[in-house]
Amino acid sequence: MPIHKVGYRGWQGKKVPVPWRWWIISFTGIRVVLRSRWVRRLMFVCYFPVLYWGLAVFMLEQYMAYPDLQSDLIEAIQQADRFENNRDRWRRPGRNGPPQNRRMQRPGFINMLPKSQVVIDALQSPGADTRHVVWSWLLMTFFRYPQSIMLLFLVGFIAPGLISRDVRSRAFLLYFSRPIGRFEYILGKLMIPAVFIAFITCLPALVLYVFGIMLSTDWSIISMTWDIPFRVLAASFILILPTASIALMLSSLTQESRFATFAWFALWIMGHGAWLAIVLAQSISFGKPPFSQSVMDSALVENWSLISLYNNLGAVQSWVFGFDKFTDIWPSFTILCLLTLVALVILFRRVSAPIRI
Amino acid sequence: MADLIKVQNIVKDYRRMRALNDVSFEIQPGITGLLGPNGAGKSTLIKVLMGLVRVSSGTGTILGNRLGRHGRLIRSKIGYMPEDDCYIPGLKGVEAVQFSACLAGIPTTEALRRAHEILDFCGMKQERYRDIETFSTGMRQKIKFAASIVHDPELLIFDEPTAGLDPEERENLLNRIQILANDAGKSVLISTHILPDVQAICDHALILASGQVRLSESLEVLNRPTSPTLTIKLVGDAQSFIKDLQKSGLQVHQEHDFNHLRVSGDTDNLSQLVWKTAQQNGISIHALKPAKNSLEEIFISAVEESNVAHT
Repeated sequence: MPIHKVGYRGWQGKKVPVPWRWWIISFTGIRVVLRSRWVRRLMFVCYFPVLYWGLAVFMLEQYMAYPDLQSDLIEAIQQADRFENNRDRWRRPGRNGPPQNRRMQRPGFINMLPKSQVVIDALQSPGADTRHVVWSWLLMTFFRYPQSIMLLFLVGFIAPGLISRDVRSRAFLLYFSRPIGRFEYILGKLMIPAVFIAFITCLPALVLYVFGIMLSTDWSIISMTWDIPFRVLAASFILILPTASIALMLSSLTQESRFATFAWFALWIMGHGAWLAIVLAQSISFGKPPFSQSVMDSALVENWSLISLYNNLGAVQSWVFGFDKFTDIWPSFTILCLLTLVALVILFRRVSAPIRI
Repeated sequence: MADLIKVQNIVKDYRRMRALNDVSFEIQPGITGLLGPNGAGKSTLIKVLMGLVRVSSGTGTILGNRLGRHGRLIRSKIGYMPEDDCYIPGLKGVEAVQFSACLAGIPTTEALRRAHEILDFCGMKQERYRDIETFSTGMRQKIKFAASIVHDPELLIFDEPTAGLDPEERENLLNRIQILANDAGKSVLISTHILPDVQAICDHALILASGQVRLSESLEVLNRPTSPTLTIKLVGDAQSFIKDLQKSGLQVHQEHDFNHLRVSGDTDNLSQLVWKTAQQNGISIHALKPAKNSLEEIFISAVEESNVAHT
């Protein structure tokens, strides 16, 4: 018998069960995406905010551990808030209105963050529930501000090519001539952005939680905050499903991934940009700074916030972390569900179209 | 012998257009050529066989599995090589074959080993480590071929397997298909326009035209002339030889070269008669063999019948 026979040989082995074959698509896709140096750099950058939020968790523990430091810490936060506010003095004054009102006073950065009053109240009267409130708030802001924006860029890098390149290279026949179906294909593709999103949202959030637990030196904290990891998982799921579905749907609509990239950024920027324009218009008409409480609470700004995907995700996450009631956020929740459903239906139709012909 | 594929009265409609019209046939193990002009319904038939599209009506079994019911099971036993220039982007050659093996259920590490084994069989060397996007059409054909056989399927369906290959690679690919059929015991269905490919390797031909089966027969039967016929290559004056053969009641047809003759007649000792006449005329016969019907003529007549039926 030759040492290395290059003729055909049969194969007899145990095959992997069918339900796990979608993972092959995901695993291969993740490997291909990670070959991009830009994706690796972006993922590295996505972890910078964890340091800031980790610092916040550390400060909270110092605050809780040393009551005599509490007034100093509050003062430090107010100083920072004032510093942020005072930066506006160096900006060009507005042309309209009496001289004393020309410069629109922005609210401090703490007040600009959602539900900050709940946190300030919890900090001013520390109790058993303080950690739960502050950690939840920190994680909610972590999801909402740095990671949601990072997610926009990361998904914009990854997702547009996932299906459009398969359409262009006519890879569908290669996939579907194997014992897999549309569901496995779409699930496999969905898991690619999902894993990356989870890597920059869920994983660091859980790390922050564990970091907080380890700093607290009191294991009873776990019993008081046990629900936070589940809220993190739920918040990640809420970020992952609509964004990955929409991004893949856009990818399936074209053979050119650049068009899908453009559509992805346009969807986010146009929706949120339009809402910001409304906020600005309302603040001018009220004569109040943008993002001030009265502007943000106005019916016009609240209703039109539904056109922003970013705001809708933020609203639902606020509910997940326990800062809002479902009755307050159901329109956003409904919009996200509808968008996801429509995206998945289009995705299924687009994926099956090439093999039906 | 058990039927590999058996379909009965299959109809497939795409909205107003009928792609397959009452298609019934049986395919035995071996190499079968699926022939037909463009738009005959070959690709639709392949998709139906693989369970990728649902039939409007009709039934069938493939490898003992019911058509339309066990699509996944059927596809796990089939290796399919599509006609289109298709590839999975972002992968290297060997990764593409490994990926196909994994999709068919082979564990990852074993899939890589198997991919290398199959690429060796396909004659692909170090270029297997290049990105598939940089491959030429011929190399992509090889990758598609390797991907279709990597999971060791029972039935292989090749759609235009030799398209885009140079003559040497075409010959090599046909040899590999023959090895798979003859040595490894695989059954093969080849959809192609290239009739010499079918003539060279197929045991059976299925001609499809206008969505209907026009002919399904073994090539041995198809090639056999209706009356005993010989092709002869000779040296010397052919004219007197031809006249003598015609006097004996044989039909003689001079082919492109005057020294090539096609002789037929309803007689049991045709070859003896030819040898005797050649001896009488001082003709030297260089080659004498039983003639075969041309597959091209058979194909054209089958397709023309279909056109006549439609008009």
